[in-house]
Amino acid sequence: MKKWKWLTILLVLTFVLIGCSNDSEGEATSDEEMGEIVPEFSLLTSLPETNQVNHEAANAMGTIWNDELGMDVSVEPIDFNVLVDRIYGDAEDYETYTVGWSGRVDRIDPDMFIYAIFHSSAAIPGGNNTTRFKSDAYDEIAEAQRTEMDESKRQELVFEAQEMLADEAPLVTLYARDLVHAYNNERFDNITVMAGEGIFNEWMPMDVEPLTDDKMLRIASTQDLDTLNPLEANSVYEWRNLRLIYDKLVRLSPSAEPEPAAAEDWEVVDDTTIDVTVRDGMTFHDGEPVTVEDVKFSFDYMIEHEIGYFISFLNPIDSVEITDDSTVRFNLTEAYAPFVNVTLAQIPILPKHIWENLLEEEGIGHPGEFANENPVGSGPFVFDGWKRGEDLRTKTFDDFYKDIAIDGYIYDLYAQDEAVMTALETKSADVNAEQFIPANIEKAQTFDFLTVEEVPDIGFQYLSFNMNKEPFDDKAFRQAIAHTIDYDTIIDVYLDSYGIKGGSGLVLNEANEFWYNPNVERPEYDIEKAKEILTEAGYTWDSDGKLRMPVK
Amino acid sequence: MSMYVIRRIFSMLITLFIISTIIFLMFRLMPGDPTASMVDPSIPPEAREQIIERLGLNDSYFVQYTKFMQNLVQFDFGDSFYYKTSALSVLRDKLGATVILMIAAMVLAYGIGVFGGAWMAWRRGSVGESIAITIALIFRSAPTFWVGIMAIYIFSVLLGWLPHSGMRSSGYEAENLFQTFFSLDFLKHLILPTVVAAIYFLATPLLMMRNTMLEVLGEDFIEMARAKGLTERRVLFNHAARNALLPVVTAGALFIGSAIGGQVLIEYVFSWPGLGREMVLAAQRHDYPLAQASFIIMAALIMIMNLVADLLYAYLDPRISYK
Repeated sequence: MKKWKWLTILLVLTFVLIGCSNDSEGEATSDEEMGEIVPEFSLLTSLPETNQVNHEAANAMGTIWNDELGMDVSVEPIDFNVLVDRIYGDAEDYETYTVGWSGRVDRIDPDMFIYAIFHSSAAIPGGNNTTRFKSDAYDEIAEAQRTEMDESKRQELVFEAQEMLADEAPLVTLYARDLVHAYNNERFDNITVMAGEGIFNEWMPMDVEPLTDDKMLRIASTQDLDTLNPLEANSVYEWRNLRLIYDKLVRLSPSAEPEPAAAEDWEVVDDTTIDVTVRDGMTFHDGEPVTVEDVKFSFDYMIEHEIGYFISFLNPIDSVEITDDSTVRFNLTEAYAPFVNVTLAQIPILPKHIWENLLEEEGIGHPGEFANENPVGSGPFVFDGWKRGEDLRTKTFDDFYKDIAIDGYIYDLYAQDEAVMTALETKSADVNAEQFIPANIEKAQTFDFLTVEEVPDIGFQYLSFNMNKEPFDDKAFRQAIAHTIDYDTIIDVYLDSYGIKGGSGLVLNEANEFWYNPNVERPEYDIEKAKEILTEAGYTWDSDGKLRMPVK
Repeated sequence: MSMYVIRRIFSMLITLFIISTIIFLMFRLMPGDPTASMVDPSIPPEAREQIIERLGLNDSYFVQYTKFMQNLVQFDFGDSFYYKTSALSVLRDKLGATVILMIAAMVLAYGIGVFGGAWMAWRRGSVGESIAITIALIFRSAPTFWVGIMAIYIFSVLLGWLPHSGMRSSGYEAENLFQTFFSLDFLKHLILPTVVAAIYFLATPLLMMRNTMLEVLGEDFIEMARAKGLTERRVLFNHAARNALLPVVTAGALFIGSAIGGQVLIEYVFSWPGLGREMVLAAQRHDYPLAQASFIIMAALIMIMNLVADLLYAYLDPRISYK
């Protein structure tokens, strides 16, 4: 009898066990019903020495995505060149990444950040649309703002585009860093600073007033030039100097309005025809006069040789004609709103007599190969020598059409930010060309002879996705991610409050007063909200806490 | 002797060939792409293609390699991708600055090191010797950039005696090449980096000299010299030190060979426009021609100085001869 008893207990136990295992199997099937586990992915970011803030922000995001959202993310800090290579490469081998757009002055015009980086035509390997955002509705607006020559109508379109971007969140801006510089107020006065450009903008050397007999302005920089050839210069560091040696038809004023420079005036005849009147009596630094021939030549030459840095600004030009002794007419293939603000404000005027027969004289295949060791332009400053790794010197051009108070400027090179700080501190430099690192801002403020200037940047650092891959193609997923970024900590802790908060799709910020849409809302850091958005969109968490895709 | 030199030169050429090949491959196997650092990402793909083609990066590695070797035989290292001028001219600009700094530091370090080492061996076991060893080792182990920053802080910022950065004062215009490197302005700029570099290098000659001196001082001929009644100074410098110099000479010759690479950290801290930083940047920027040129030249120099050291040996020590 006892045996039976034991047997029954055993049987019951077995059934219970089977029942249990059935139960757990049942759970497993319900996990499967939930849909696929969100695939593993990596977050590519900067090495800490290249961009500490992006690196820290990426690590923080990675932790939240892994621990709070149940995803499988690895944060991969990589060399900047490798990062660019990955996101621009043919293999399209990336999922999420942090990187930034620098705030070059031509990007004050919204075309770059609205059209060039989001239009679907650029969503190809090597193209600038590395988020792979493709939307017909968006393309339409982006194209419309590009061809709308009426500024207030264009502003409306740009506002609308910003609202769409905020909703779609193809990228999430992390922050925009403030540009903080200082100058020696015992030696110089009337220093112009410009949003997005900082202190070494094109106006500062022209406007600055010396307070002592030494009228040489010494600019401390950590960035050497690669070349003096304006057709080969690819970075803002070269252009900061070259645009002072070479003149341009238009220059953007400190408030980013187009101002006549080598052009006396311009007239938009119709949407595709612009007449530019060239200023009278200008000369190049070698004494030759600047004529309409030189202007036409400069544009034709750069179009002919497809100069990479300018190619996108020059593409809309169909032809350039000389209509009379002082007028050049630009015929465009289609209306192109940024023509005056970007194209005319970027292209340097080259002396035809030097460049015309250059290829034969030098025996080279492309003007980019020319070393241009002695650049001759018609800008406010005359080139006076460049010692690689040491300095670049200029003298003020006496025949320039604008009065300049200094005798010239020296662009002195230092190896690192600390050396620049020490140079300012020991008064061997007057201004710093690149922004301070946060640690040096407070230090600079302790010296009475230094005035610290702070302006916002129009460039921005962001997190983005490869929208060709799951789950990044899902708008709800991207919106949820936008709530997992601790925007305030980035600004308050990493940037010592010297910066502007980011937001989803926020490519234009307060620094760009005219084009920024103040009605666009920015997401708050709120992980619960992120989970809510995911749940609403059909995402679930399985028994292991792993995030699963919505059922299709 | 001349047969020996010829043989050595021949084997050097073979080594150089192998090194060039390794260097060629090494830079191309690094992750990343030279265009990434040279081309602004906002440039359209077509323009990018155009640049890649102009740099000859479209060719297969084999074609690139044969071109590279052909040019190398003619001492043509190609044009720097980044600076768009010949790699050699970029290096030449910076080589002078590096060599002067390194030679100055070496003269200082080896001058103090040889005499100091001899003195230390002579005063072995004294308090002075242990203090000297400790100081030399402290400076050897202290990070050079830290010593450099401290030196700048004390002598440039606090005392204001010496300039903190570069080779020249801002706006200083040299009238000729001689003045570029021998003006008072230049010498003032040279002092801090030289001293900081020298105290870092000091430990090697100092301790090496001390050790060999200790060995030599135990030899019979020293006893003999003392027995002859020579003054302690003559024994020390004329008899012992000469014989103890040999390993220091080798170390010194090799030091000159590697000095072309400069001291990256010293150049960095003092903003010295030297070659060391340029080499690091060239590798980072994937500027193949410039990186190749600097590494090959450095390898060649080390080998040449090695040969020089061997030949000097034969001169300094008659017991050694080469066949």
